[in-house]
Amino acid sequence: MLVSGAALLLACGAFIGYDLFSFRQAVLNNLSIQAQIAGSNAVSALLFDDQNSAEKTLSALRVSPAIISAGILTPEGRPFAAYSRDKDDQIQILPRLAAGQTETHRFGDSEVLLVQSIVFQGKPIGIVYIRSGLDVLYARLRLYLGISAIVLAVSLLAALLISPIFQRQISRPIAQLAEIAQLVSRDKNYSVRAAESNSRDEVSVLVEAFNSMLSQIQERDQALRKAHDELEQRVQERTTELDNINKELEAFSYSVSHDLRAPLRAIDGFSQALLEDFGEKLDSMGQDHLHRVRLAAQRMSALIDDLLNLSRVTRSEIHRETLDLSAVVRATADELQRGAPSRNVNFVITDGLKVNGDSRLLRVAIENLLGNAWKYTSGHSCARIEFGLYQSNGRPAYFVRDDGAGFDPRYSQRLFGAFQRLHASSEFPGTGIGLATVQRIVRRHGGEIWAEGEVEKGATFYFTL
Amino acid sequence: MKRFINTESFLNVFLAQRTKRYLTSLLLITSFFLQPSISYTQQRNASEYEVKATYLYNFGRFVHWSADASFAKNESFPICVIGQDPFGTTLDTILSGETIEGRPVVAKRVSKPQDALDCRILYISLSENARLKETLAGLDKAGVLTVSDIPQFSERGGMIQFVLVGNKIRFEVNLTSAQDAGLTMSSDLLKVATAVRKFSQLGD
Repeated sequence: MLVSGAALLLACGAFIGYDLFSFRQAVLNNLSIQAQIAGSNAVSALLFDDQNSAEKTLSALRVSPAIISAGILTPEGRPFAAYSRDKDDQIQILPRLAAGQTETHRFGDSEVLLVQSIVFQGKPIGIVYIRSGLDVLYARLRLYLGISAIVLAVSLLAALLISPIFQRQISRPIAQLAEIAQLVSRDKNYSVRAAESNSRDEVSVLVEAFNSMLSQIQERDQALRKAHDELEQRVQERTTELDNINKELEAFSYSVSHDLRAPLRAIDGFSQALLEDFGEKLDSMGQDHLHRVRLAAQRMSALIDDLLNLSRVTRSEIHRETLDLSAVVRATADELQRGAPSRNVNFVITDGLKVNGDSRLLRVAIENLLGNAWKYTSGHSCARIEFGLYQSNGRPAYFVRDDGAGFDPRYSQRLFGAFQRLHASSEFPGTGIGLATVQRIVRRHGGEIWAEGEVEKGATFYFTL
Repeated sequence: MKRFINTESFLNVFLAQRTKRYLTSLLLITSFFLQPSISYTQQRNASEYEVKATYLYNFGRFVHWSADASFAKNESFPICVIGQDPFGTTLDTILSGETIEGRPVVAKRVSKPQDALDCRILYISLSENARLKETLAGLDKAGVLTVSDIPQFSERGGMIQFVLVGNKIRFEVNLTSAQDAGLTMSSDLLKVATAVRKFSQLGD
């Protein structure tokens, strides 16, 4: 309503403005012509100094009721003849004609003054001026304003009366559609439908399409829910399955640790007893055998422990927290040093490296890595073990580096396999599970581990989390 | 110079040559001392013939000559004075540089009507009053616009006669004479004439 009213007003204004402008031009043209006619008729009067003749010429302007006064002047500007519609007429101060200018005009309030040079056979011989009233112009303006006002009022009234009809047909259904769309998005209730009308116009087509769209959405939504529920159920089943498996595994490892260990303890214990009680009765070979039996039992026990650790790692949940990895490394290093204070090892640890991960598992990993580094540098009198951060392809990786025995890079694939050992146990003791455990821990944190090394030049283990 | 010559023309009518010369030089000497009053009188006289000279030129702008063989050949537009010249150099000054119908206007003095045949406009001086009939007869149908101050000029067959109305120089027109000579007078000209007469040539 407001918009159309404003548009109408603007259009009316533009038309009126243009018309007034062109009317003003027409008035000026008209005056110019009248001045020319008067001027050319007064030529001989000017040339032969006949003021009466000039005045007679000017008086012909009486036929134009709009003309208030007119006059003819000599080229020097002296009055020669004059005409005035009404008896009283003020003396005019005429605008001067510039050199070369043949006509000029000036608009006053409700009148216009035109001044024109009278030219005869190429020579200016006088000046004619006409004063015309603009009442006609203003009357026209008032008429136009009146008409515009009436037209505006009538059309606004008509719009007011007709709009309810259009509202019913168009606006209301569309508004309703908008409402329903909002309702659906807000409440996620896909069962509502827009009210259909019997008319076969574009709006009803829109409503139908909208409704069918809603039906489709509803179907999809229901299918989604069903799939979701099914999935939930499957997940539930799997979880229960997994839980069961886990429980079984727990029971298994418990029984393993218990049941396997008991005979082991027996083997070890009785071997020790044998050595202690009957050691003198045996010769060196016999004692050696018994030592070996004991060693093997102990080794098997260690293996069982490591396996249990490994399985525990795989089973346990990760509790992620912010952890100062450098502190863990330092603590582990201190422990190792305390265990063998005679060894000269230089630990280079980058401080302040914080990670987000399970503190227990990461501690195990660090213990394993540092333990390995400690073990494999034992052959050297002076060793260097380094822990820090390394940027690889934009992803930061932590590393533990030692300058110990190293390994043959051709066998780097086998490093992380369980029970895989690249060194004989005579050189370096170990179960071969440590790195497998570290790999499992790193993988569970969503990271990767890899190693670089050379024989006798040390090894570097990189891992990301 | 102007003033001097007009005084001379005034004296011409009444005095002999020698006396005229003596008086002229006397007046010339005294004029320097009596400048104000004499010049005022001379001014008024000068204005009169300035105005008339201007009018002679203007008449030419409102009269149409029929396409005549003799005039077509003529490159200039001569405005002539026959008889004793009352204008003097005023005429030449006012006419210099002007054109009518694209032809340059020239001032000429003639003494016989035959010499005036190729004039367009001829001012007949007061001195020709006695010989008017012959003069006009000599110009018969020659297409010359005759203008004069001579009394009853238009009744006697002249075309434009200067008259004094109040203190304004006006003129009356004999339309018939003009038409007989093949001249067309613009209605604008007739509008400002004091009288438009239709006499056929009567002579004295």
